Amino acid sequence: MLKSKTFVKKTRSGGVVKIVREHYLRDDIWCGSEICSECKPETTALQRDARIESSLCTYPHYLIPDTNVVLHQQIDVLEDPIIRNVIILQTVLQEVRHRSAPIYKRVKDMLHEKDKHFYTFTNEHHETFIEREPGESANDRNDRAIRVAAKWYSEHLKTFKSISDGLEVVLLTNDQGNKQKAKEIGLQVFKDEYIKSLIANPELLDRLALTNDEKNEISRKVLFPEHLPLSKIQVGIKAGTFLQGTYRASRDNYLEGTVFVHGEGEESTEVLIQGLTNLNRAVHQDVVAVQLLPQDKWVAPSSIVLQDEGTAKDDAGDEEDEDKKPTGKVVGIIKRSWRPFCGMLNVSQIKESTRHLFTPADRRIPRIRIETRQASTLAGQRIMVAIDGWPKDSRYPNGHFVRSLGGAGEKETEEEVLLLEHDVPHQAFSQSVLSFLPKMPWSITPEDVAKREDLRHLTVCSVDPPGCTDIDDALHCRELENGNLEVGVHIADVSHFIRPGNALDQEAANRGTTVYLCGKRIDMVPELLSSNLCSLRSNVELAFSCIWEMNHNAEIVKTRFTKSIINSKASLTYAEAQMRIDDTTMNDDITKSLRGLNKLAKILKRQRIENALTLSSLEVRFHIDSETHDPIDLQTKELETNSMVEEFMLLANISVAQKIYDEFPECALLRKHPAPPPSNYDILIKAARSNQNVEIHTDSAKALADSLDVARVDNFPYFNTLLRILATRCMMQAVYFCSGMDSDFHHYGLASPIYTHFTSPIRYSDIIVHRLLAVAIGADSTYSDLMDKHKQSALCNNLNYRHKMAQYAQRASVAFHTQLFFKSRGVLNEEGFVLFVRKNAIIVLIPKFGLEGTVFFENKDKTGPNLVYDEEGPTLTVLQRTFHIFDKVKVTISLDASNIQHQKIRMALLEPMIPGVSVPAEDLEPLSKKSKIDR
Amino acid sequence: FRGHGTYVDEEKLTASVAGEVQRVDKLICVSPLKTRFNGEVGDVVVGRITEVQKRWKVETNSRLDSVLLLSSVNLPGGELRRRSAEDELTMREYLQEGDLISAEVQSVFSDGALSLHTRSLKYGKLGQGVLVQLSPSLIKRQKTHFHNLPCGASIILGNNGFVWLYPTPAQQEEEAGGFYTSLEPVSLSDREVISRLRNCLLALAAHKVLLYDTSVLYCYESSLQHQVKDVLKPEVMEEIVLLTQQKLMEHES
Amino acid sequence: MAGLELLSDQGYRLDGRKATELRKVQARMGVFAQADGSAYIEQGNTKALAVVYGPHEMRGSRSRTLHDRAVINCQYSMATFSTAERKRRPHGDKKSTEMSLHLKQTFEAAILTQLYPRSQIDIFVKILQADGGNYSVCVNAATLAVIDAGIPMRDYVCACTVGFVDETPLADLCYTEENGGVSSLALALLPRGGQIALLQMDARLHQDHLETMMEAAMIACKGVSKVLDEVVRQHLQEASALSRD
Repeated sequence: MLKSKTFVKKTRSGGVVKIVREHYLRDDIWCGSEICSECKPETTALQRDARIESSLCTYPHYLIPDTNVVLHQQIDVLEDPIIRNVIILQTVLQEVRHRSAPIYKRVKDMLHEKDKHFYTFTNEHHETFIEREPGESANDRNDRAIRVAAKWYSEHLKTFKSISDGLEVVLLTNDQGNKQKAKEIGLQVFKDEYIKSLIANPELLDRLALTNDEKNEISRKVLFPEHLPLSKIQVGIKAGTFLQGTYRASRDNYLEGTVFVHGEGEESTEVLIQGLTNLNRAVHQDVVAVQLLPQDKWVAPSSIVLQDEGTAKDDAGDEEDEDKKPTGKVVGIIKRSWRPFCGMLNVSQIKESTRHLFTPADRRIPRIRIETRQASTLAGQRIMVAIDGWPKDSRYPNGHFVRSLGGAGEKETEEEVLLLEHDVPHQAFSQSVLSFLPKMPWSITPEDVAKREDLRHLTVCSVDPPGCTDIDDALHCRELENGNLEVGVHIADVSHFIRPGNALDQEAANRGTTVYLCGKRIDMVPELLSSNLCSLRSNVELAFSCIWEMNHNAEIVKTRFTKSIINSKASLTYAEAQMRIDDTTMNDDITKSLRGLNKLAKILKRQRIENALTLSSLEVRFHIDSETHDPIDLQTKELETNSMVEEFMLLANISVAQKIYDEFPECALLRKHPAPPPSNYDILIKAARSNQNVEIHTDSAKALADSLDVARVDNFPYFNTLLRILATRCMMQAVYFCSGMDSDFHHYGLASPIYTHFTSPIRYSDIIVHRLLAVAIGADSTYSDLMDKHKQSALCNNLNYRHKMAQYAQRASVAFHTQLFFKSRGVLNEEGFVLFVRKNAIIVLIPKFGLEGTVFFENKDKTGPNLVYDEEGPTLTVLQRTFHIFDKVKVTISLDASNIQHQKIRMALLEPMIPGVSVPAEDLEPLSKKSKIDR
Repeated sequence: FRGHGTYVDEEKLTASVAGEVQRVDKLICVSPLKTRFNGEVGDVVVGRITEVQKRWKVETNSRLDSVLLLSSVNLPGGELRRRSAEDELTMREYLQEGDLISAEVQSVFSDGALSLHTRSLKYGKLGQGVLVQLSPSLIKRQKTHFHNLPCGASIILGNNGFVWLYPTPAQQEEEAGGFYTSLEPVSLSDREVISRLRNCLLALAAHKVLLYDTSVLYCYESSLQHQVKDVLKPEVMEEIVLLTQQKLMEHES
Repeated sequence: MAGLELLSDQGYRLDGRKATELRKVQARMGVFAQADGSAYIEQGNTKALAVVYGPHEMRGSRSRTLHDRAVINCQYSMATFSTAERKRRPHGDKKSTEMSLHLKQTFEAAILTQLYPRSQIDIFVKILQADGGNYSVCVNAATLAVIDAGIPMRDYVCACTVGFVDETPLADLCYTEENGGVSSLALALLPRGGQIALLQMDARLHQDHLETMMEAAMIACKGVSKVLDEVVRQHLQEASALSRD
C-alpha cells in the first residue's frame, strides 16, 4: 500500500526556522491521454483526436499553459469552448491558487467540465519533479518544472507515434525568456501568436490581456505619481503617517471619493479624496493607503454632480469654507479588487482604430481602454471587460474584452448585467453541487419515518400567493380534547437535504438567499430542492414543525418543535382560503382549520398592534406584473388570509428564536432591527409639520405608530400612506447577527425582543436556524462551524451583504421593467407627490406606478432658474413657486434612451406651471437634464 | 500446552514474545532472544548490594532483586556461630550498599525472586576488578564459572550475565571469610590484561558468541596483535571474533 | 493567502501521498546495549527513540508496588532540537506529562503485566524529530522496544493518527496536515483482535464521521502492524543468525 519510491527533502526557510517536509514521488501518476497504452488510469481526460483549428499548429495537440498564461487574464481565452485538451500542471495550479482565488476557482470549474477535456497532471509528485537549484528563484524553478513536464509529455507521446497521428504538446507562455528556453529543449512553444492563429474564433484575440509589450512606445507624460511599494506602505501605516482603508468612489462625481478607514473599535473615519492626481489610480473598492493633506488643504465634498464625459479637466468642484473634511491623497494600493465589469463600448472616432474606451455600467468605475477589432459588432452590446493594469502615464486603465452579454436594452442582457453588477451569484449549479442532491425518484425511507413524528393525519394546508412554486410553509389548526387549540407551522425541511460542509451547502451559504427579480428567480439551491423536494405540495413531505398549544385567547400554553412528516391536504391561494373562510356553507376539515387559524391570527395581530408599533404598511410594495408590465393597483385590499399566514410565521420565528437562544446563547443566529437614531426622523417630522401641520412623535416605536395612525387629512387620503413611506425610509436595515457577538437583540419593526428567520428555507439563514433548532431538540448533531461564533458572525456578514445586494438587484429589476413599460407606453402625464426636496431638484413619487423620479431645475449647460433652498422646510423655491414635501404635482414621464447604457425615466414638470421650467403638456423639450430611478 | 512466552487468546495459543519456538512434546515455549536473568538453583551470579535491612538485597539483573539472608553467609568465626541480633546491626560492616559479590542461587521464591548464598570460600565480596554487564543468554552453562586464565587474570562468568574480571590472587588462602578485600595497587600489566579481556568480552557479546573460558581465552589471544583500545573498533572486533570462531571450531574438531 | 489545500482534487496530499497511504516507516531494534530493550523508528520525518528497562525491582517509592502485576512507568520527552523552533523544556511540561500518561495507559493494556508481580517496567521515549503523529510514533517505537526487551505482550500495539478533510479520512498525518485545522484522532490498536488500546481525540468531529474515521484508523494501524512485524522478524533473523554461528 505504500507506493512511495523516492524520497526527496524539500526545505522551506522563513526567518530562522527550517522546515523539512517530505515529498513523495509516485509511479502511479498517469498522463491522462487516450492514446497512451503505458499508463493505466481509470479515466482519460485528453482525447485521441485533439484538434484545435489553428494555422500555426496543423497537427493535433495538447496545450500546456504556464502560470502566467492562466493567471494573467488569458483564462478568459481558455474558458472558450473551442479550447479543449489542455493539460494543467500541478505547478501551475498551485501557483494560481496561491496568487488568485477567483481564477483558481474558474480553473477548477474548467477541470470539472467533461467537455473541455482538461487534465491535471500532478507533475510535482511525478518523476518530472525538480528541486530548486541554488540561486534559482521560485518562479524560475516553476518555469523549469513546467518545461520539464512538457518535455516529458512530448517524449511520452512520441512512444505512441504509430497511433498518435502526429500528436504533440504545445506549451503556451507569455514570457520571452521562457519561450527561448523551451525552444532550446525542443518544445513546441508559442506566445500570443497561438491565440491569433486560431481559425475558428478571431474574437478570442480580444480576450487576451494587454501585456506590457508596448513599453517601447515613446513614454508619454506621466499623469500619476508612483505608487509606493508595499513595504514602505506598511512602515507608514505603522508609523501612523498613512491610513489604510477601502476606497469608495462617489456615485456622482468621478473626481471624488472617500476612503473608509477602519479605526480601532468604534472610531472609523472617512477621508475625502479629490482630484485625479490625488485619487492616483484607485478604483472603487480597492484597499488603499492614504496620506492626509495638511489641514489648510482640506476641502468639503462637492455637491455638484460631475460625470466623466471625456473632457480631461481636473477641477475639484467649487470649494466652500464650511464642512471641511479630512482630505488626503492615495499613496499606494494595498489590494486591488478588480473584477470583470459590465458596460458598453464607446467606439473610437477613428474608424481603423483598435483601441476603444469602455464605459462601465457602474458609474464609480473609471472608463477602461481596451483593444478590440470587433468594435463595430460590439457597439450597442453589453460587454464585460477586465482591468489588466493602470500605467502611471495613462489617463485610463488598460483592460481587455472578456465576453459579450448581448444587445443593450434586451431583457436577458439587462438582467444579466443587473445580476453581475449586484454580485448575485447566478451561474448554473456546478456538477459537484448537484452531486449532493438526493437521487431521484426520492421517497421517504423507513429510517425517516422512524426518526420523525408522523403528522400525516393532521389537516395541514398551505396558503400562498397564486402561481407560487416553492411552497415552503404549511399550517394546521385543530381543537384539542381539553378545549385548547393546537396550531402547527410546518416548514419544509431543507436542512435534511443540505448537509453541512458539502459543496451544496457551501454554494448555498455563498448565495445566501434566493433572489426574486421581476419574472425571474435566482435559486439559492438547485430547483429540485426548492420547488420539488422541499415544496409542501399536496403530498407527503418532510417538514420541520413548530407546534403550539393555545387557548382561545391565542395565549401560548405550550410550544414544541419536531421534525415531522406531513401530508398537505390542500394548497390554496390567499383568495381561495379567504373564500372558504367566508363561505358559511363549507364545513370540511380544511375550512374549519382555516377558520381557527384566522381567528387566532386576528387576536395575535391585535395584540401585536396594541402592544407595539406596527409598520405593516412598511411592507407596501409597488408591484409590477412581470407578464404585462402593468402595475398592479396599489390600493388592492389585503386579504385577511394574507396577514393570517404572516402572523403565524412571525410567531414561529419568535418562538424559534427564543428556543435557539436559550439553547445556544453564544451562537444563535438571530435577526435584529436596530432602532433608528432620532435624527433619522427629522425629515419626517419636518415634512408633516410643514405640509399639513401634523405633529409626529418619534420618541418610541409606539408613539410613532400612534401618531402615524392619527395623521390623517380629510381631503388628502394619500397623506397617511406618504407619511408611512417616508417613515420607512427613516428605518435602519434589519440584519442577521450571532448572539454571542452582540448584546442588542431588539427587533424594532416587529417590536419583538428577539427574532430570527425560520420559516423560509430558501434563505440560508433559515437553514442555519433549522440546524440549530434540530440540535436543540436532539434531532441532529452539531458540527464545529455551527458552534463557532466567529465563523457564524462571518456568515452573517455574508448573508447581510447578499440580502442587501438582492434587494438592490430587485429594485434595479423593478426599475428596468418600469422602463420597459414606459417604452411601450410612450409619454405619459401623471399626478404625483413630492417626496423629497433637494438643492436643485425635487423627487416625485407617482403612486399609480409606485415610481420615483427626480425633476431637475438645473442644467449643466446653462445656469438654472433662480433656486432658493430652505433647509428648515425643507422647501425649494423656484421662481417664487415653493415646493414642499407632499405637494401634489403633475409630471410628464417618458423614456430617455439617448444614453443606451443608462436608459432613464425622464420626468418633467407639468403642473404647477412655472414659465421656463415646466413644459407644456405636449411639448417634451428636455429641460430637465435627467431623472433617475432610485430605490 | 501453554509454555513460557505464550498465552491463550480465544482458545488459540499465541506468542507473547518474539523469539525462538521450542517444542517439548506438546509443550510449546517461545523464548525471547534477550531477556532478564531467570535464575535456577545452583547458578553462579555476580551482583551488587542495593539494600541492607535484615537481609541484603542484591541486584542480579533479574526481574526482582535477589535476597541474601544473614543466615546464608559465612560470618567470620566459623560455621557454627550463632546469628545474633547484634549481627543484624553490624551487617553493614560485612557488606554495604554498592559492594559487589559473587554468590550461588540457593532457591527461587514463588514470585520469581532469587535467594542467594555465599556459603563457600569461592563466593563472597569482590575486591578490585572490572564488572562487565552482558546478556544472560550469552553465558554458557559450565561446571565451573570461576577460571584463572593463563593470561594472568581471573574471571567469574556469572550466569546472570555479569562477568567479573580481577587479577589472579597470589595466595588462595588469604581469602578468609570472603569479606576481605585487598587494597594493594594492581600492577600495570595486570590492569592491561584485564582491560583487554573486558574489551574482548564486549566484542564477543556484540557478535553474540557464547562466553566460556576457552572462547574468552581464544579471543584474548586473537586480540594480542592490536592495542587494547583498538579492540573495540568494529572492524577489529569483527576480525578478532572471526579468528576466535575459527580457533573454536578447530578446537572442537 | 489561501490556506493549504490538504487534499487536491486529484486525491493527492501535500506530500504526494493518497488519502490512505502511510508515510515511509523505517525501524531498528536493539540500538542500545545497556538497556533491556530499545528501538528507533522513523515514520516519515518523525523520529523517535524508545528504551525499555525492566522488569526490575521497584525503584523510588516502594509504595507504588502492585502485588499482582508489574507497574509500568512511562516517560515521554522531546529533544530540544526536535521542533522547528528550539524547545525550551524537553520534558515535564503539561503536554509531555499527558503524553506519558497516554503511553502508560496504552501499554498497560498490552503488556502481560500480571506475569511480573511487584516489579516495574520503564519505558522511555524521546522524540528526536517531530513531524506529526508524535503519539503514534512513540507507541510504535515503544512496542518494538518492549519486544526487544523480551517482555510478553498480547500483541503489537500499533498506533496511527487519522485526520478528516473533505469528507475523506487521511491516514498518518504529517505536521503540516495536523496544523492545517484538521480534526484528527489517534488510535492505538492491538491489530490481531482488533482491540483498542487507546483512542484519543481533542478536536470536534461530527458523530456521523466518527465511524469512517475509526475504520480508516484501524486499517492504517493494521498497515503499521505489518511493517512492525516485518521489522521484528528481520531483527530476529539477524540475531538468531548471529548466535547460530
